[in-house]
Amino acid sequence: MSQANFYDLCRRYHGRNVRITCRDGRVYRGEITRVTRDMVWIRPFDGLGGYGLGFGGFGFGGFGIGIALGAITGIVLASAFFW
Amino acid sequence: MHNSYIDLVANFGIGGAHPGGFSLTQSILEDENIQPRESVLDIGCGTGQTAAFLAQRFKCQVTAVDNHSVMLKKARKRFESSDSSILVIEGDAQSLNLMDNSFDLIIAESVISFTNISKTLNELSRVLKSGGRMILIEMTAEQSLPLEVQNKVCSLYGINEILNEQEWKSKLQQAGFSQIEIIDTPSGLIQTDITDINQSENINMDLYDVWEEHNHFITQNHDYIGFRAFRCQLL
Repeated sequence: MSQANFYDLCRRYHGRNVRITCRDGRVYRGEITRVTRDMVWIRPFDGLGGYGLGFGGFGFGGFGIGIALGAITGIVLASAFFW
Repeated sequence: MHNSYIDLVANFGIGGAHPGGFSLTQSILEDENIQPRESVLDIGCGTGQTAAFLAQRFKCQVTAVDNHSVMLKKARKRFESSDSSILVIEGDAQSLNLMDNSFDLIIAESVISFTNISKTLNELSRVLKSGGRMILIEMTAEQSLPLEVQNKVCSLYGINEILNEQEWKSKLQQAGFSQIEIIDTPSGLIQTDITDINQSENINMDLYDVWEEHNHFITQNHDYIGFRAFRCQLL
């Protein structure tokens, strides 16, 4: 999926809780707070953004964590009901 | 038959994709007293989360059947990385290439509703041993459905009939099952966290639309359609 597709998806899921998987295997779960052409920001809802490391030591003011759209391999809703 | 809802679940590779999610599966199976010598059929196994749990937790003999190639691929991949041996079969629940009286326990998690219900129940009754038990978690009508809801269910999920609780019980009886009980479950269509996921590369954007349409449908129609977990036995 292209960066443009991920951009569209982030716009679609703006304000919703998502699960984002990155190329390096990190998984982030949180609410999408801001989307630009190159980045998406999420406010993690389970501590430091899933089992992503390296964000310790400071709080999440404003938009939360910024993730480059080019680093993303998957975006899905974090919770859902399925038949 | 092509079904874009099943394609959605398969391509996103979502485990526990049934009402109640994997936590309901676990709690039901923990109460079932499953023995290592018992043979268990997971019909419509999807990506194999329940089958893997059965084999690992109870050390029983597990057969996992599905008809969707993407599901089977992901299930096989999952089983490869565990040390339990699970027999994986590509097959149609309505017409199984399995011997009569083969299983002590069958579990169907939101599978039968997607098939010709009577046909599948008869087939499951055939492969279950006499005295064997079956657990099903299935979509259930809470009240009679307006025509437009019926039509929507048909087009969105490829489902032709939605049974109410009583209709499920009588279809089960017709297929030879008895001692039919309703397992107590949390009511409502509760969202569960997606924790078990194996996403395909290059998912078609159309499937995101199907997901949205499905979400929209659930929000609109949860008064009409719910689910039940049944436990029954073959005479």
